[in-house]
Amino acid sequence: MAVLNNFSSFRRILINSSSSRAYLSGFKSSITLEKLYPSSRLDITTIPKAPESKDGKFSGYIPMDKIQISYARSSGPGGQNVNCVSTKAEIRFHLASAEWIPEPVRVKLAEKLKNQLSKEGYFIVKSDRTRSQHLNLADTLDKLRDLIQSTAQSLVIPEISPETVERQRRLRERAARERLREKRAHSMTKQGRQSPTLDS
Amino acid sequence: MKSNPKAYKQPKRGRGIYGGGKHGAGNKGSGQRQNFMRLGYETGNNPFYLRVPKEPYYKGHHLKREYPPISLLQLQTMIDTGRVDPSKPLDLVALCNSKLFLLSPLEKQFGFQLTDEGLDNFKGKVNIEVQHASEQVIAAIERNGGVITTAFYDPVSLLAMRDPMKFFISGIPIPKRQTPPEDAIEYYTDPRNRGYLADPDLVALERFKLAQKYGYELPDLKNDPELAMLLERKDPRQIFYGLNPGWVVNLKDKKIFEPEDEKLLEYYKT
Repeated sequence: MAVLNNFSSFRRILINSSSSRAYLSGFKSSITLEKLYPSSRLDITTIPKAPESKDGKFSGYIPMDKIQISYARSSGPGGQNVNCVSTKAEIRFHLASAEWIPEPVRVKLAEKLKNQLSKEGYFIVKSDRTRSQHLNLADTLDKLRDLIQSTAQSLVIPEISPETVERQRRLRERAARERLREKRAHSMTKQGRQSPTLDS
Repeated sequence: MKSNPKAYKQPKRGRGIYGGGKHGAGNKGSGQRQNFMRLGYETGNNPFYLRVPKEPYYKGHHLKREYPPISLLQLQTMIDTGRVDPSKPLDLVALCNSKLFLLSPLEKQFGFQLTDEGLDNFKGKVNIEVQHASEQVIAAIERNGGVITTAFYDPVSLLAMRDPMKFFISGIPIPKRQTPPEDAIEYYTDPRNRGYLADPDLVALERFKLAQKYGYELPDLKNDPELAMLLERKDPRQIFYGLNPGWVVNLKDKKIFEPEDEKLLEYYKT
């Protein structure tokens, strides 16, 4: 504050107190966001395009308008709170008509979950893990995403390099040779325990 | 002027046949020869102060920052009862002006944190600036079409902000806000925390990701009639909305003064 004690003069500015909103100082220091991020558009309102799920790979995007969210009361102990507050979150959607899940993954899911689907073909995910409705909803979405992702992963055939294929073939042949060698040795041992006959 | 006789004990002076002589040191020995053993010495065995290990319970406690909590429930109540005006941007100044919360910067309090109590029933649409907020709180604010920012204020700025009227009356020029310390820079430059020093484009991406995580449609702020209010932000060196560092506010004459000297202008601008 020592610098400020040596100031020489001040210029007066008249401010109309009623229109304080209209007069914004528009102060820009040397560490404004414009200077920190010169190549940025500085816009927090942009909504990016939803990532597409293509080539059988699930992008992780779940369209909120394609699933039905409902809340119910949770189970377990909790007194008045658990009796009155709807904290259990449930999401349901028709699996066969879910366009946002890639086709091969959808088929695999239908087969995997065929005992869990409702009569009309709806798949339901529920959660009452926490005391908060919103956190439970996040949990259901997490469960759903995890399920779809693991199914998509199981469909992916991993690429094996020719060196690995060759190595696996060699190891298999070596194992077979060992087995036959031990078998022959065991056979000789057993034969050696027989009493010798006139023919041999 | 004398206190009452029982107020204090008279010192006992070492003088005369019964009081004086040996300076209270007794006869011979290490005591009279003033050759005492050091404090804690136990005549050779391993002393207590070396035997027992110390537990650093309070190590660095004077360096730890505190953020007194404000729950979403309290915030909703304030909005509903009119203690706070959601049609203007809410920051530490607005929260202190409600006179419901008091900040003690001298007790290592660096601002307020927004906690998640009342998360499910929060319905307010606000442009709020706090010093710390967890992910679910950020989701709750953004779900209702609001904007949340986390910003750092140094103790000098906080002393000005917690009672602006008193500060303006003092006639001190508005200080410039300091940048966060090293251990806080990472927090305030992270778009996930909606830091005031984070890239707004990355913040927009994180808003989208959070909406996907917590299961709500991200409200399109561009079509909002209150867009200008929601996007209003302070410069990283600014303390009050609409007031620059270096200005002196005269409440009585309703005038604001700004410095003319080049060096001062340079100081406040950097």
